[in-house]
Amino acid sequence: MGRSRVASTATGPEPGAAYNRRHESISNSRLTAVSAPGIVVAGLHKRYGATLALDGMSFSVRPGVVTGFVGPNGAGKSTTMRVILGLDAVAEGTALIEGKPYRSLRHPLNHVGSLLDASALHPGRSGRNHLLWLAHSQGLAARRVDQVLERTGLAPAARRKAGGYSLGMRQRLGIAAALLGDPPVVMLDEPFNGMDPDGIIWMRGFLRSLAAEGRAVLVSSHLMSEVQDTADHLVVVGRGRAVADAGVAELIAAVSGNRVNLRTTAGTAATRVLTQAGATVTRAGGRDTLVVSGLPADRIVTLLGESAVPFSEVSAHRAGLEEVYLELTRDAVEFRAMTPTEAAR
Amino acid sequence: MRQALRAEWTKTRTVSGPLWLLLGTVALTVALSACACSVVSCGSAGCGDMTRLSLVGVQLGQAPVVVLAVLVVAGEYGTGMIRTTLTAMPRRATVLAVKAVTLTGIVAAAGTVAVLGSLASGRLLLPGRAFMAAPGHPPLSPTEGPTLRAALGSVLYLTLIALLSLGVATVVRDSAAGIGIVLGLLYLLPVVSATIGDPHWQRLLQRIGPMDAGLAVQATTDIHSLPIGPWPGLGVTAGWATAALLTGGLTLRIRDT
Amino acid sequence: MTAGVATSRSGRWAGPNGFARLVHAEWTKFRTVRGWVIGTVVAALLPVLVAVLAGVSSDQRGSQTVPVGPGGEPVTDSFYFVHRPLAGDGGMTVSVSALSSSIPSGPADLEPGTVPWAKAGLVIKQSTRQGSPYAAIMVTGGHGIRMQNDYVDDTAGPPGPASAATVRRLRLDRSGDAITGYASADGTHWTKVGTVHTSGLGPAVQGGLFVASPPAVDGRGTRGSVSTAVLGDLRGQGNWAGGDWTGTQVGPESPTFAGYPRNTSGSFTGAAGRLTVTGAGDMAPAVRETLPTGGTLGDLLTGTFAALIVVVVVGTLFIATEYRENLIRVTLAAAPARSRVLLAKAAVLGGVTFVAGLAGAAVAVPLGERLARSHGVYVFPVTASAELRVEFGMAALLATASVLALSVGTLFRHSAGAVTTVTVAVVLPYVLIANPFMPASVANWLARVTPVAAFAVQQTLVRYHQVTSNYTPYDGYYPLAPWAGFTVLAGYAVAGLATAALLLRRRDA
Repeated sequence: MGRSRVASTATGPEPGAAYNRRHESISNSRLTAVSAPGIVVAGLHKRYGATLALDGMSFSVRPGVVTGFVGPNGAGKSTTMRVILGLDAVAEGTALIEGKPYRSLRHPLNHVGSLLDASALHPGRSGRNHLLWLAHSQGLAARRVDQVLERTGLAPAARRKAGGYSLGMRQRLGIAAALLGDPPVVMLDEPFNGMDPDGIIWMRGFLRSLAAEGRAVLVSSHLMSEVQDTADHLVVVGRGRAVADAGVAELIAAVSGNRVNLRTTAGTAATRVLTQAGATVTRAGGRDTLVVSGLPADRIVTLLGESAVPFSEVSAHRAGLEEVYLELTRDAVEFRAMTPTEAAR
Repeated sequence: MRQALRAEWTKTRTVSGPLWLLLGTVALTVALSACACSVVSCGSAGCGDMTRLSLVGVQLGQAPVVVLAVLVVAGEYGTGMIRTTLTAMPRRATVLAVKAVTLTGIVAAAGTVAVLGSLASGRLLLPGRAFMAAPGHPPLSPTEGPTLRAALGSVLYLTLIALLSLGVATVVRDSAAGIGIVLGLLYLLPVVSATIGDPHWQRLLQRIGPMDAGLAVQATTDIHSLPIGPWPGLGVTAGWATAALLTGGLTLRIRDT
Repeated sequence: MTAGVATSRSGRWAGPNGFARLVHAEWTKFRTVRGWVIGTVVAALLPVLVAVLAGVSSDQRGSQTVPVGPGGEPVTDSFYFVHRPLAGDGGMTVSVSALSSSIPSGPADLEPGTVPWAKAGLVIKQSTRQGSPYAAIMVTGGHGIRMQNDYVDDTAGPPGPASAATVRRLRLDRSGDAITGYASADGTHWTKVGTVHTSGLGPAVQGGLFVASPPAVDGRGTRGSVSTAVLGDLRGQGNWAGGDWTGTQVGPESPTFAGYPRNTSGSFTGAAGRLTVTGAGDMAPAVRETLPTGGTLGDLLTGTFAALIVVVVVGTLFIATEYRENLIRVTLAAAPARSRVLLAKAAVLGGVTFVAGLAGAAVAVPLGERLARSHGVYVFPVTASAELRVEFGMAALLATASVLALSVGTLFRHSAGAVTTVTVAVVLPYVLIANPFMPASVANWLARVTPVAAFAVQQTLVRYHQVTSNYTPYDGYYPLAPWAGFTVLAGYAVAGLATAALLLRRRDA
C-alpha cells in the first residue's frame, strides 16, 4: 500500500473531449446531490476452502471518474464485485453503495448498474424482453427500455432472440441493463472481453461519457492496456487486496520516481559526467536513451553543456502503466507461479 | 413485491417454454385420462372410483409441471441469469416468493383446464363402458360434492407439486438433477411401497409419499379404507412443498451465488 | 449427410487404437466428475437397499407352508376328493353328465357362471397330502376332456362339454408308474387321451372322483367359484379296498386356496350309480394370483427402477454438460470423428453402468432372497440360470437405458428436456404397469412397445395355459420373453444412438 502513497506533482493525462460533453440525463440533478462516494469497500475477507480470495480488500469509487479495477486473474476482482452486489457473502468487512448494503436497496438498479457476465441470458428471450422484465422489477416503464436500447445502439436487434447475439451485442445488452435504472454508480466486469476494435473504441468513449455525466464508474480488467486510456483512477489488486488506490498520474509518477530520460549519441561520455555529479545512469529503451535519476533535468542540461557532451533531448521519464501494473502485482504473480496448485484451488 | 411479481410474469411470458409445458400438462392429463376411461374393463362388482379413474391423467400431467417449475429457477442457474435476477431483486425471499406465486397462478390455470378436460372425457367415455348402469352412480359432475373435492384437490395437487419442484430446484440449482429428484420422489415411493411386505410400513409409506398421499384427494368412494383421507393427504403434499420451499429459501439466502 | 462429409470428418485415422484412445479419454472425463461417479455408485446401491427393505419389512413367519409339487414348483392342491385306496395296478371308469359352476355375485348370492377350468373326473393320487404326485382325466368347463398329471402337465382330449345329452365317459388305468387315460362318448369305443409316467406313486394310492373349481377371473381380480358335477356308472377294476367312498377336502387350509364362496362347501351325495359332487379349488401350478403372498426376484429388484432414474440423469448429463459448457467443441476439436466420439461415450457410460448394475444385482438378489426367506416369505423358485439371467438382465437394462439417455441428451443438447423425456419414456410406463388398476390389455401393450418391456428380463414366473389368471406385468408376467423384452429397449437405444450420431455429424457443434 505504501507505494501508492508517494506524492507527485506530475500532471495526469489530459481529460478526453468526452469528459466535457454532458449528456442529457433525467437524474443529473440527483446525481450531483449525492455526496457519499458511490462505492465504499472496507476490509473484505473471504476464503474458498483453503484459498484466501479476499484479504482485506478496501477501496472506494468516486463519482465523475472512471475507476479502473485491475489485477491478474484470480486476484479477487470478480469476487469483490459479487460481494458489492450482495451475491457473495464475506466473513468480514463491508461493501456499501451510497452508504447502504446492496441487499437493503429497494430498487437496486436505480443505485447501481452492473454487468458481470454478458452471456447470462435466457437464449430464447429477446433482448428487449430481457430488459423489460428487469425494468418491471424496478417499477420502470417500457419507455425506459427503448431509451437504453437506443443509447447502446442495440435497438435494431432488440426483438431478436438473445441466444443469437454476438458477444459484442451481448456486452451491449448487458450495458443497456446496467443503465436501465439510470444509476449513479456503474460497475462492469471485464467489459472489453471479446470486443472487436470498433467495440473497444465505442466502449471507451461510452465509459468516459458515463463518468462525464457524474456517475461513479468501476471497470475491471486483467489487462492494463484496456483501461489505461479510459481510467482516471486505478485500484490495482493482487492476492485479494488493493495494492494501489490512486490516480493514474500519481501511480505513474510513483513508479517513475524523479527520473529523466536523456537522448544522446555520446552515451559513454554522458554517463561519466553525470555519475561524477552523483547521478545513477541506466541504459533503457532505445539505442541512445539513458535514464538518469538523482539529478533534476535543468541540472543535467547544465552539466552536459559544461562538458560539451552532445544530446538531443532531456525529458521527464514516464513509466508506462503496464510497467506500473507489473511492478505492483509482481508479488501476487510470483506467488501464483511458485505454487500453482494452491492458486488453482 | 408487486413490481417483482410483474417482472417475474414478464419473464415467464417472454419465453415459449412455459406455455408449451403448460399445454403439455393439459394434453397429457386429458390424453391419459381419456385412454384409461376408454379401455377400462369392469367386473360385475363395478369399476371402483370413476372420478379417480377419469383423473388418472394427473399422474402423467404432473411431469411437465415438474419440468416447468424446476426450470423456473434451475434454468436461471444454468445460464447464470440468476445473478442478474438477484442483482435486480436482492431480497431472496421476494425472488422465491414471486416465483412461487407466478408458478401457482399458471399451474392452477393449466391444471383447471386439464382437470375439467379429464372429467369431461370421463363423462363422455365412461357411460359407454356400462358403468353408469349400476344404480347409485350419477354421471360425473364437477359440482357434486366428492367430485368437486377431487377436481379442486387435483388442481391444488398440481400447484403443490410445482412448489415442491421449485424448492428442490432452488436447493440443487441444476435442472437435470432437480427433475430427477422430484420425479424420483413422486414416482419411486409408490413403486417401492408396493414391494414392502409389512402392511404397516406399506401404509406408512403411502401416507407420507407426496404422490400417494396427495392423490388421495381424488378418491370419491370407499374413503375410509384409504391409507389417508383426501384433505389430510393433500396436506402431506403441502407439507413436502412447504419444507422444500423453506429449505430452498434458506439456501438461497445463505449461499453465494 | 453425404459420404464426403463422413470421410472428411472420419479423417485419415482409423483402427482400434484410435477408438481405444477415445474410450480412454471419455473414461477419464467420466471418472473425474465426482457427481457422476457418486451417481453410479448410488445406482448400484439403490437396488441393494430396496431389496433389503423389501426383505426385512415383510413378516410372514408362522404362516402356512406353501404346497410344492414334485417338480419343486408351488402348487394349488385343494379340491374335493371322493376316494378309496387302490393297491397295485388297477383302473376305473365313470360317466359325467353335468358340470355346472356358480360364482358369487354379492355377499350372499350365487349366480350360475362359466368357469373354463372347472374340473370333474377321475384321479389317482399318491395320497391326500398336498403336493403329492397324481394323474387325472377330467371333463372341464370350457376346454373339453383333459388329462393332467403332477400339476404342470396337461394333454388335450376330445373337445366339448358334458351334459345330459352328451354324457362323457372317462377311464383311468394304472400299470406301475404308467397311467393311461381314455375318453368315450358311448362307453364302448374308447379313445386314448394319453399315457403319463408318474414316479413316486408308491404301491398303494388313493383313487376316485374329484371336482375342482378354480377362481373365476372377473375384471381385474378373481372371485372364488364352486362347481357341481353329476357322475355315474362308477366302476373299478383291480384291488380296490372295500367299504364306502370317503369324501375329503384336500388342502382345506392353504395359502394357495382362497376357500369356498360363502354358504357353500365341498360334498358328495348319492351312491356309485349316481353321485353329485361339489368342490372348489384346483389341482394346478400356483400363479401369482393364487399365491399373492409369494415374492419374486422381480419384486426384490424393484430398486432397479430407482437406479434407472439415477442412471438416466447421469447418462444425460454426460453429454448435456458438454453442450452447456461448450466443452463439446473441445471434444470434437480433439477428435473430429464425431460418431466415434459418441460411440466411445456410449461404450464408457454403458460399460460403467453395466458393471455397477451387475455389482448391485449380484448383491441384491441373494441378499434379498435370504432376508425374505428368513422372514417367512415364500419366494417363487428359480433355476440358477434364471437367477443369473435376472442379474445380468438388470445390469444390461441399466446400461442400455443409460445409452438411451446419452442419445436423447445428444439430440436435445439440453439436460432438462432429455432427463424428462427419458424418465417419462421409461419410468412412466413402469408406473402405469405397476398400477394394479391398469387394465391388462393396456399394461401388456405398454410392456410390449415401450422401453419398459425390458423389465421382462426380471420375470421368473411361468404362465400356464391351464390356469386362468390375470397375467399382467403388475403380477410379474410380461408379454414378451426376457431377452425379447430387452431387445425392445435395446432397439430404442440403438435407434436413438444412430439418430444422435447422424445429427451430431450434420449439426454444427
